[in-house]
Amino acid sequence: MKYVILIHSNPEPWGHPTQIYTKEGRELPQEQHDEMDREFDALMNEISASGEFVTAEALADPASATLYRWSAGEHLATDGPYAESKEHLAGFFLIDCESRERAEEIAAKFAQPGGVVELRPAMWQGGDDH
Amino acid sequence: MTDADLEDVWRRSAPPVLAAIVRRYGDFDAAEDAVQEALMAASVQWPVDGTPANPTAWLIRVASRRLIDQHRSDKARVNREQAATRQLPADEKHSPAADARDPYVEDDAVLLLLLCCHPALPRASQVALTLRAVGGLTTGQIARAFSVPESTMAQRIVRAKARLRQVDARFSLPSPQELPDRLTALQHVLYLIFNEGYTSTEGQTLYDVSLTDEAIRLTRQLHEQLPDCDEVAGLLALMLLTDARRAARADADGSLVPLSDQDRGRWDRAAITEGTRLLETVLGRGHVGPYQLQAAIAAVHCEAESWEETDWMQIVVLYRMLDDIAPSPAVTLNLAVAAAMVHGPDAGLRMIDPLLNDEMQSRRNHRVHAVRAHLLEMTGRHGEAGTAYAAAARLSTSIPEQRYLNSKAAQLAR
Repeated sequence: MKYVILIHSNPEPWGHPTQIYTKEGRELPQEQHDEMDREFDALMNEISASGEFVTAEALADPASATLYRWSAGEHLATDGPYAESKEHLAGFFLIDCESRERAEEIAAKFAQPGGVVELRPAMWQGGDDH
Repeated sequence: MTDADLEDVWRRSAPPVLAAIVRRYGDFDAAEDAVQEALMAASVQWPVDGTPANPTAWLIRVASRRLIDQHRSDKARVNREQAATRQLPADEKHSPAADARDPYVEDDAVLLLLLCCHPALPRASQVALTLRAVGGLTTGQIARAFSVPESTMAQRIVRAKARLRQVDARFSLPSPQELPDRLTALQHVLYLIFNEGYTSTEGQTLYDVSLTDEAIRLTRQLHEQLPDCDEVAGLLALMLLTDARRAARADADGSLVPLSDQDRGRWDRAAITEGTRLLETVLGRGHVGPYQLQAAIAAVHCEAESWEETDWMQIVVLYRMLDDIAPSPAVTLNLAVAAAMVHGPDAGLRMIDPLLNDEMQSRRNHRVHAVRAHLLEMTGRHGEAGTAYAAAARLSTSIPEQRYLNSKAAQLAR
């Protein structure tokens, strides 16, 4: 089953990894960042080895986006950012795993200072007729 | 010999040849390379010389020769041959004529199947390796069938082989202690492959391979080699009886048709007959396992002219047995539906109460709400049924199923 892990964050300035650029992240000592990096590397190795990791991308500054809005007349294209909110979509991971429980186990490890991690199931074209 | 004929020989021949080579030399990767080279030699020589009387033996000979040539330039060759010799039973240490190897070829495929389901591998890797090594599918075909990028699937297979090397997994029959669990894992993998193929509504037309056909073919092979294993026969029967319904499960625009509404005239009677016959030979024997029970349930449905005329009491009995040996939320839900047909919808509703009170189930499992909705609809409580269908729709991750549940919700809201 496929799930997307969406990282919402507000790094200032925009940069990756986002957690070193957020206010909450800046308040943490370097050793804690190093420990978090080690744990994240271990996680990536684990889900790459298991084949659960499919793909991921870190995203560019929200201001670099182009937004397309539909209307009955002309379609409007404007410059980003999209979100009115404080946090922006900073990156995404696509995983393929056996259960919701497993997806939650993986997503929990993405938690980061100054960010919100969203786990969302993907839809598929198949279905069961029971 | 046409290209299509050659492709057919490849698909059928590669797995037993690979199995025979892995058996002899133990190195999965080198074996795969050697078999590839032998197949390429065949594609050049056979159209000119004609297909040999025994294509598999020819391929084994050529692949073996390639591998030996490869080893001659390898310093570790001596050690490997010694290790391989240690693994061979005494009467095989003298190299037999290639033709004499044939009786072992079929058994080799079963050993390879068992090796691919080694407990050191995660389930998804077991599935991928099985399809690659024994199914003879390309990495691209497997990737498309499971809707992941080819590179992801390639990684799973590469890492699976590396892991097998790491744990020094042997190409031999698992020990008597290991065999039951390994066989169970293999059955689970085969069923996963079948289910993936069966539930992908667009799968049959979009992809160039049929996972259901693949699963049935491999399970048939396993059944032929292990005729006394009742659960394998049960698994094959379950696949045949389920696949029999394929033509009726989706309508013209691709929407899913639930079992209750399917046009049973479109069911494949030949597959039903074969599945039922298989079941009849095993069910009398005593120890009944989960696949046999699921197959028996499928057989009861397949025998019925309609949803209403189904022998629901028999289905209740069978689900109760399944609940005893392999309980799960799905079993409880299906039992509730069957019980409702015998004792009325309120009996069914009582049965699903524990699932509604289970936090994980009620928050995440759309089927809990879908079944509740169906039972409420049976009682005539249409308002509540509509709400439950809507809840089920929101939780569903299947696009056609979600569409169906939303339409039921809308229908009952009127």
